[in-house]
Amino acid sequence: MKILGKITILLCGSLLLFFTSDFPDFGDANSPASLHLSPYFIEHTLEDTAVPNVVTSVLADYRGYDTMFETTVILTAGLACFLLLRIPKRAVKNRYYLHEPTGVTLRFEGDKYPQESDVFKRIDSSWVPYDIIINFTCRLLIHFIQIFALYVVAHGHHSPGGGFQGGVVLGASVILFAISGNLRAAIKRFGEKTAALFSATGVFIYAGTAALCMVLGENFIDYAALAPILGSDRIMARSHGIFIVEIGVAVAVMAVMIWIYYNLSSAGKQDEGL
Amino acid sequence: MIFFDRASNLLSDLPAIVVTVPLLAALIASGAGWINRKAPFIIAIASLFVSFISSILLLLQVTSTGVVIEYRMAGWAAPIGIVYIIDHLTALVLVLISSVSLINLIASKRRIDDQFRNKEGAFYSLYVLFTAGLIGMTTTGDAFNLYVLLEIASLSGYALIGLGSNRAPLATLNYLFLGTIGATFYLLGVGYLYIATGSLNMADIASIIPKMMNSSMILFAFIICLTGLLVKLAIFPVHGWLPGAYSESATVAASLVAPLTTKVTIYIMIRLCLSVFTPQYTFQHLETTDVMVWLSVITIVFGAISALSQKDYKKMLSYIIIAEVGYMVGGFFLGNKMGISGAILHIVNDAAMTLALFMVAGIFLWKTGEDSRESLKGMFGKMPFTMAGFTLAGLSVVGVPPTCGFFSKWYLILGGISAGQYGFVAALIFSSLVNAVLFFRIFEIAHFEPFKEQHPHNDHCDEQHQAKSHNEIIKEAPLDMLIPFIAVSLLLVLLGLYSGAIVNNIIHFVIPKGII
Repeated sequence: MKILGKITILLCGSLLLFFTSDFPDFGDANSPASLHLSPYFIEHTLEDTAVPNVVTSVLADYRGYDTMFETTVILTAGLACFLLLRIPKRAVKNRYYLHEPTGVTLRFEGDKYPQESDVFKRIDSSWVPYDIIINFTCRLLIHFIQIFALYVVAHGHHSPGGGFQGGVVLGASVILFAISGNLRAAIKRFGEKTAALFSATGVFIYAGTAALCMVLGENFIDYAALAPILGSDRIMARSHGIFIVEIGVAVAVMAVMIWIYYNLSSAGKQDEGL
Repeated sequence: MIFFDRASNLLSDLPAIVVTVPLLAALIASGAGWINRKAPFIIAIASLFVSFISSILLLLQVTSTGVVIEYRMAGWAAPIGIVYIIDHLTALVLVLISSVSLINLIASKRRIDDQFRNKEGAFYSLYVLFTAGLIGMTTTGDAFNLYVLLEIASLSGYALIGLGSNRAPLATLNYLFLGTIGATFYLLGVGYLYIATGSLNMADIASIIPKMMNSSMILFAFIICLTGLLVKLAIFPVHGWLPGAYSESATVAASLVAPLTTKVTIYIMIRLCLSVFTPQYTFQHLETTDVMVWLSVITIVFGAISALSQKDYKKMLSYIIIAEVGYMVGGFFLGNKMGISGAILHIVNDAAMTLALFMVAGIFLWKTGEDSRESLKGMFGKMPFTMAGFTLAGLSVVGVPPTCGFFSKWYLILGGISAGQYGFVAALIFSSLVNAVLFFRIFEIAHFEPFKEQHPHNDHCDEQHQAKSHNEIIKEAPLDMLIPFIAVSLLLVLLGLYSGAIVNNIIHFVIPKGII
C-alpha cells in the first residue's frame, strides 16, 4: 500500500513537471494571463474605484464576491472548531492554587475550591512559573502590535495590507497575551461569547453592506449604491465601501483566530491551556 | 408605483437572493444562538424557505422565457467581475438543493435539538452555510468562485458529519484529507486554465478553448480538474472516504450531506465539461467516453458487491450511493442525448431517493437505537406508514415503475445501447438486481420476522440514548418526522410520473446542439 502511494505521488509529480514545459516564461509580458484581463484592471482601477492599490480593488470590488465567501470560510472554520471541539464545562479533576504569601502550591480535589483572590491564585496543572521579563515585554508590545494592526487595516488602499492581514495581527496580539500569561486571563478580557459574536458580526458587516447595496437598488456588492448614504460620488463610494468591508474582514479574522485558539489550546475545555 | 419598482427589482435580484439570504441567515443564526436557543432554528428554516421559493421562481422564469439569466455581482460585466448564470440545469438543481435541505431540516429538528444541545447556533449556522455553498456552486459562472464556494460547502460538511459515533471523527478526517486533495486538484486545474487563457469566467474560457485545442496546459487542466472532482465523487479507486463518512456520522447530518454532495459534484462535472471545456473538447477531441464509462462500470460493480456484504443499514446505503455515482458519471460520459438526459434526471431522482432512505434510517434509529438490519424485525406491523414510504423508496432504488428510479435507469440503458457500451448496460442491470436482493431482504425481515421485544444495548452508537426504553411499545414515528418523509416518498412516484415533462421541458434545453 505504501509503495502504491509513493508511485502515485511520483506519477503526479512527474506529470506536473512535464506539463510545466508549456508554461509561458516567468514575467512574460505576452503570456495570456498578462494580456487578457490584467491590462483592464491596471488601467481602470483608479477611474473605476478611486483606489490606488490594484490588489485591493480586485480583491474587494471586482471580485469582492469571492472575498466575502473567503471571509465566510474563515468563520466556517471557527464554527467547525467550536462544534467539534468544545466540551461543555465539567468539573476539572484537580485544580492547583498558589498560596501567594507562602509561595506554596496546593492541589484541590473534589468540588470545593477557594475563591480566587490576592491570597489564592489559580495556576495550570502544567504550570511554568511566569517569567517577569516575558510578561512585561508582551504587555508593553501588545499595544503597539494593535496600533500597527489598525494601520495595516486602514492602509490597505495604498500599501500592502488590508482586512485579512490586519485581522491576523490583531488576533495575534490577544493570543500573545494568552501565551505570556494564561488562557483564563485572556478569556476574562476577551470572552468566548465575544469572540463568537464578533466573528459573526465581522462577516455580517461585509455581507450586510453588500446586501444593503441590493436593497438600495443596485446589484449585490455594488458599493456605488452607497453614495447617497456616504455623501460622496459613486466612484468614491466604491473606495469607502471597500474600506467598510475591510473593517468587517478584520473583525471576523481577529475573532475567529482567537476563538479557534481558545478551543484548540485547551482541547475544547477553555479552562486550562497554553 | 414605487412598490412595483421594488417588486420587479426584487425579481431581477433573485439570483443573488437565493444564495445570500441563507448566507446572512447563517451569520445571524450563529450569533443568535448565544442569546436565544430557539432562534437559530426559526432563522434557518425561514431562510431556506426564502431560498426554496426563489429557486422555484427562477425555474419558472427560465422555463417560461427560455432565456438564460445573468446577474452581475458588484455590477461588473462578465470577464472582469463575477457573474451568476442561471439556465435550465442550474434552476433544476437549485430547486433540488433548496427543497432537500428544507425538508430534511423540518424532519430532523427534534433530533438536532437532542444531539447538539447548547451548540444549536453553530449547527444550524453550518447547516445553512452548507446549503448556501452548494447553491452558490450551482449558480456561479466563474471557475474560481466555484472553488471558494466548494470550500464553504466542504468545510461545513466536514463539521456537520464530524459528530456521530465514536468512529465518526476518524472517518471525517479521512474525508477531510481526500476532500481537500480533490478541492486542491480542482484549484490547480483552475490555475492552469488561468495561465493558458488569462480568464476565470467560464463562458470566456469556453470561447478561448476552441482556439487552443492542442495546448498541453488545457489538457492537464482538464485532467486535474476532473480528477479532483472524481475524488470528491468517490469514484472507484478513490471512494474510500465515503462509506465511513456517511455511515458513522449523525443521521441528521448524513441525510443532508449524502443526498446533496455527490449529486452537486456531478452537476459541477457536467457544467465543467459542457460549459468550460466545451463538449467538442470533452467528447470529440479527447474521446473520454471509453475510459470514463469503464471507470464507472467498475465503480457500479464494486459498489453493488460491497453493498451486498454490509450488515449495517447506513453502510449499505453508502455503497449504493457509490454505485449510483457510477450511473451518473457513466451516463454523462456516454456523450449522447439519452445518456446525458439520464444522468441529469438521475441527479434529481437519486437525491430524492437518498434523502428518503436516510430519513428512514433516522426514523429507525430514533425508534430502535440500532443500525443493524436485524433491528427492523416486525416493523411493518408497528410502523405501517413509515414502512410504506420505505417500500416506495426501496422500489425506486431497485428501479420498479412507476417510481422515478425506473425512468432515469431507462434513459441510461437506452443511452448505453445507442452508444454501444454494453458493459455499462450490463453493470446497470447487475446493480439493479443486487439492489433488489438488498431491499427485498430487508422487506422480508421487516415483514415476516416477529418483532423483537428486547433490543440489546449497542455501545458503539452515540445516538442510542435517544432510543426509547426497551419495554415501551414501538409505534409510528412522530408526525414532524413522518409527514416530511411520506411527502418525499410520494415525491418519488410523482417524479417518476412527470419524468417525461422534466426531460422535455428542462433537460432537453441543457444538452448542447452538437450532441445527438
